[in-house]
Amino acid sequence: MTSTTSIAATANSRLILSSLLRADFIVFLKNRRSLIMSILLPYLILESTNSKTSTANLGGPLFVIGLSITYGIASTSIMGYSLATARDREKGVFQRLRVTPASTGAIMGSRLIVQLLANLVIALVVVGLGARAHHLSLSVGQYGLVLLVSVLGGAMFLCIAQALVALVKSSETVNSTARLLYIGLILLGLLGQGGTLGHPWGTVARWSPVGTVMTLFAGVLHLSAWDGRDLESLLVSVGYIVVFAVIGIRWFQWEVR
Amino acid sequence: MSSTDQPRRDVILDVRDLTVSYRATKAVDRVSLHINRGEIFGLLGPNGAGKTSTLSAIEGLLKPGSGTVLVDGVDVQRHPAQAKSKMGVQLQATSFQGQLSIRQIVQLYAGLYGIELSDGQITEGLSTIGLGHESPKLFKQLSGGQQQRLSLFIAVIHDPVLLLLDEPTSGLDPQSRRQLWSRIEHLRDEGSSILLTTHSMEEAQAVCDRVAIIDHGTVLANGAPGDLIDQHRDDPLVRQAARGAVTLEDVFIGLTGSEIRD
Repeated sequence: MTSTTSIAATANSRLILSSLLRADFIVFLKNRRSLIMSILLPYLILESTNSKTSTANLGGPLFVIGLSITYGIASTSIMGYSLATARDREKGVFQRLRVTPASTGAIMGSRLIVQLLANLVIALVVVGLGARAHHLSLSVGQYGLVLLVSVLGGAMFLCIAQALVALVKSSETVNSTARLLYIGLILLGLLGQGGTLGHPWGTVARWSPVGTVMTLFAGVLHLSAWDGRDLESLLVSVGYIVVFAVIGIRWFQWEVR
Repeated sequence: MSSTDQPRRDVILDVRDLTVSYRATKAVDRVSLHINRGEIFGLLGPNGAGKTSTLSAIEGLLKPGSGTVLVDGVDVQRHPAQAKSKMGVQLQATSFQGQLSIRQIVQLYAGLYGIELSDGQITEGLSTIGLGHESPKLFKQLSGGQQQRLSLFIAVIHDPVLLLLDEPTSGLDPQSRRQLWSRIEHLRDEGSSILLTTHSMEEAQAVCDRVAIIDHGTVLANGAPGDLIDQHRDDPLVRQAARGAVTLEDVFIGLTGSEIRD
């Protein structure tokens, strides 16, 4: 190490962030289960709703694609990110990183960037699969809007995941709570939005995190039908991001003590 | 920095009136200590005495209720990144990302200190601690001694002026322990200052230039091991603890009591 010992001790913030990003990407790619789940579930939804009748029951092909992307990014955020964060906190990975010159913002920001990029990739793959399965031809602009909604939806589910690890300390409890939350969101989205649960639940589903993002996906995939409801969904989604981000940042603890 | 904050010459770590509380419990109560350049300083105390809380405050992991910590003249609270770049840290339970290989871990932590290492430099560095062929492995696949060597290697990767080691020999076999002490002494000889915690009074007496005995968050005694033994040789509680010639452990037991701590 003699050649490196004289190198400046004051760390370079760009190198810090790129080092964190590289490491977090490797860790993310090695978490195969989360990655497979985030693609497999949307793929199964697309395949199982391939028929005209089932697609129509769920609100049409664009809505089904929105639903699939939503579940894909919700899966990797709520179950993947929250559990990985809770486990790393429990094992002391964060403490080890925090004694270096890296700021807490860089440590957490790097993880969030990796997760958001993953959400973009998931959205692109699913919308491509969906367009092929439902014989849709989408413009470049629509793909761009899908990416924008993916960033928004991904940010919302990440904020929910962050709030979860802020409020729950044990990784085992985070794991079980995340599963329950995810299943609840799936059922609310599928049954509530589809009208199976009746009026009150339909309204709850409509304004739930899943419901608002699904509406936005459907909206950008069918721009000519964009209306006030889509705008309301956008505002509600931003509201969810703000609320859960505040909880996730305010109550997050870097160590379990 | 006001004139009263000026660090003393050759003092690498200057802790003044440090207080750390967890809700109503004071874990560290107005602790003051300093470490000179090229000195090994042992922070000794029973479980729950406040050693790790003191270290955590120095490392910038927790915010003290009051007091200051200066590392080579840099205030840890005011300039955390600059202070941390002067410190190397080995935590009590080191945990690196489980999915990263040894090579990737070294690359990550070098980058966090602003150092870009080529593959060749990483291999060369790992070879100096006998891990040249282990670089594709995961951290958990290494033995306890290998993990400790890697942790210390990463802690000093940026040539820090101050090295903080929290129970570095815990769980090591005698060979690994001996090797680790040799490395620590070598680092001291190269000019690094080292603050460590240990439960082994024998090792502290043999290796540390100075020690502080801490209990219930306050420093009970501070000085060279030989001086502390001389000062407390005639203390009735120390005499009661001694079985033959008075040792640092007898002084420790005499000052902190013999009841078991959890």
